[in-house]
Amino acid sequence: MSWLPIVKKRLFSLVLVVIGVSLITFVISHLIPGDPARLIAGERATPAIVAHIRHQLGLDLPLYEQYWHYLVRLAHGDLGMSIRTHRPVLQDIRAFFPATLELALVALFLATLIGIPLGVLSAVYRNKTVDQVVRTISVTGISTPAFWLGLGLIVVFYGRLGWFPGGGRLDQGLAPPADITGFYLVDSLLTGNIPVFFNALKHIVLPAFTLGFVHLGIVARQIRSAMLEQLGEDYVRTARAFGLSRMTVVVHHALPNALIPSITVLGLALGDLLYGAVLTETVFGWPGMGAYVVESIQALDFPAVMGFAVVVSFVYVLLNLVIDLLYRWIDPRITGVS
Amino acid sequence: MHKFTDRRASLSLLRRHVLAALVAGAGTVAFSPAVFAMAPKDTLVIGKPADPQTLDPAITIDNNDWTVTYPAYQRLMRYKQVDGKGSTEVEGDLAQSWKASPDNLTWTFKLRPGQKFADGATVDANAVKFSFDRLMKLKQGPSEAFPPHLQVTAVDPMTVQFKMEEPFAPFLYTLANDGASIVNPDVAKRGGDIKAYLSGHTAGSGPYRLVSWQKGQSLTLEPNPHYGGSHKPHLRKVVVKIVPEASSRRLQLQKGDLDVAEELPVDQLAALKKAPGVKVAEFPSLRVTYLYLNNKKGPLANVHLRRAVVDAIDYKGIIDGIMLKQARQTRGPIPQGMWGYDANLPMPAQNLKKAKEELAASGEGHPTLVLRYSTQDPNWEPIALTAQANLAAIGVKVKLEKLANATLRENLDKGNFDISVGNWSPDFADPYMFTSYWFDSSKGGLAGNRSFYSNPQVDTWLRKAATLSDQSQRVALYTKVQEQVTRDAAYVYLYQKNYQAGMRKDVKGFVFNPMLERVFNVADMTK
Repeated sequence: MSWLPIVKKRLFSLVLVVIGVSLITFVISHLIPGDPARLIAGERATPAIVAHIRHQLGLDLPLYEQYWHYLVRLAHGDLGMSIRTHRPVLQDIRAFFPATLELALVALFLATLIGIPLGVLSAVYRNKTVDQVVRTISVTGISTPAFWLGLGLIVVFYGRLGWFPGGGRLDQGLAPPADITGFYLVDSLLTGNIPVFFNALKHIVLPAFTLGFVHLGIVARQIRSAMLEQLGEDYVRTARAFGLSRMTVVVHHALPNALIPSITVLGLALGDLLYGAVLTETVFGWPGMGAYVVESIQALDFPAVMGFAVVVSFVYVLLNLVIDLLYRWIDPRITGVS
Repeated sequence: MHKFTDRRASLSLLRRHVLAALVAGAGTVAFSPAVFAMAPKDTLVIGKPADPQTLDPAITIDNNDWTVTYPAYQRLMRYKQVDGKGSTEVEGDLAQSWKASPDNLTWTFKLRPGQKFADGATVDANAVKFSFDRLMKLKQGPSEAFPPHLQVTAVDPMTVQFKMEEPFAPFLYTLANDGASIVNPDVAKRGGDIKAYLSGHTAGSGPYRLVSWQKGQSLTLEPNPHYGGSHKPHLRKVVVKIVPEASSRRLQLQKGDLDVAEELPVDQLAALKKAPGVKVAEFPSLRVTYLYLNNKKGPLANVHLRRAVVDAIDYKGIIDGIMLKQARQTRGPIPQGMWGYDANLPMPAQNLKKAKEELAASGEGHPTLVLRYSTQDPNWEPIALTAQANLAAIGVKVKLEKLANATLRENLDKGNFDISVGNWSPDFADPYMFTSYWFDSSKGGLAGNRSFYSNPQVDTWLRKAATLSDQSQRVALYTKVQEQVTRDAAYVYLYQKNYQAGMRKDVKGFVFNPMLERVFNVADMTK
């Protein structure tokens, strides 16, 4: 089975997901008591001013009509105007979302980079000191609140040691790279702006580690159990009997097989990272979607909230598609859609 | 050694090897220790918790946005500095002189010559007309401070005339408000949506102009090269940096990455006071906190019960325990520092004996009251709990209901509460803000009269005061109003909060104006 039907099927489901997500967010946004027009006008505004703003925003139309207008605009790639910032939602998301996605991807990369070797070590040295240490790290990762870890890292690595900056994406006074992908790390490399690349890298390490720490624990535990399973398999014993070194068997035979289920875990983790970046972004002053969405929710800015939900679901489904394809690339025996 | 006949399987194994090698060959990325330099001498970095929402002066009602808009625009009037301190009195800024007609319905302003927008265009009567026409047509929050049906005419290039249907005494004061900013009419020539443009750009004649805004990160202001003010600004750059977390703001201030840190909680400020190189600027503000008592419906429609509540509250406990003494108790509606303040009003104090007598006089027995609040201001919850305990002491049960702020507002507007708690700060420097808004029966609900107080005599006094231009006559009327409404126990007046900001010790020239919280007089500041 080629990859095309999977892509087609996923893209079709994407449309359903977007409609579903927008409908649910729309309904919830309108169930919350509170009047966005009143929030914009200010508490002291006269009823005439509030009514004028409500009319401008189309909030005086019946709900089904408001939703229909939203869907029609959405089909044209228009997410509407933010009630709070008075800018097109798409423009706002374009400004904030790449920062969140970049942070989530680097966090995932760090979680994988550190989590997998830890999981392998833990399995190979099962019940030894190394295993205990790794398991302690995993449990700590899973149970440490992000804001606490983030603040602690800032106090130590910015406040005391001065190794890393205290927040933001770049040092003050440094111009961001030309906007190509919105990822500073990628854009700075594409434009050959090496100082900006290293500066952006320095800025992303602490927040990405904070965000990824939970998943580092999850990945390590997942790899550990998968590795234990693989190490007990006949082929491992056979390989050892052939005279292969332990290292070769672990890295070249057991690990590749243990990685397959981990891909699924990583796919799910990415969704978590995208939605869960709010606290980390707040602590590190990371200009991502977190603060934007929280402020939008408080201002009952439902076009912004719906826009965020739609875009994140969209990206999430797309990334899962990529992971599905990756899954098949790693293990061609898998033919269906997982 | 291993032979695989299945090509696909061997390829697959290769892929897995690649992947395994990628992840198993983890290296560490070495970072050289960085030196994070303090902000340069000619750059002022202000740290604040949230990005501005919009920079359009005809739309924003948020002081957080004014940090950028206020120094980027000029207005006809500005707040005076008296003896190096901010005052609520106003003087001409773009206006060189002005004159009101005898009936106070027509105001004529002569503009100061030589004032230029950041693009070099002259500030003239047309620009004033353009800005006010736009403000009144957009009909957003800021327009509410001005008389409805305001007609603006450009008499000649340097003369502009305002006509209103009814006399409005605070008019001159409203002209110093952020909403009265004069916008360069050339923005209309750019094509496209002016509102969208002005939400993200500045187009004023103030000492600074916005040169870049990286959303969620920072806004950079540089001097307006054509600024026509009395002196050129000293700072070559003002950066507003967004640092959402309070402890990060404090840390960055201590390390010198920030020169000013706004919105720090009381405990962080207490820690900062001991830190080297940093000072805490502290000023009494005009932001008041008070309890709304529902005068219209429910048990509190009974004046004796309202007086019982006023006498039962532990004012000192709230100021010392909750505000850690960073507030000043208020006597009545008009706070100290605003003209019209009545120093002869008795200072409210807890008197449980008197409270019990008033409760008995009310004939309500031991009623249960609903106190609705939100946590929009972190002090509201402890205040609600204090009120609950205080009233329990006289036999009045208080049911606390914590709501989302938007929901609370709906309830306040409809009068669905017995007691609630709120803050108020004036839009323009006139006692009108603390009297007409709070007690005029036509402004019931969120508009201002949140206790739904209604007294025809008070309405008459207030409406008369709003039409007089003689300040002493107005003060006399406001004194009568204050005596009457405190006798009627319309609200419970708690305190006016201190405004505090953390600053590096080398930051000089900051003058706080109680009308402009979160606005910095950057044109006068140095480092």
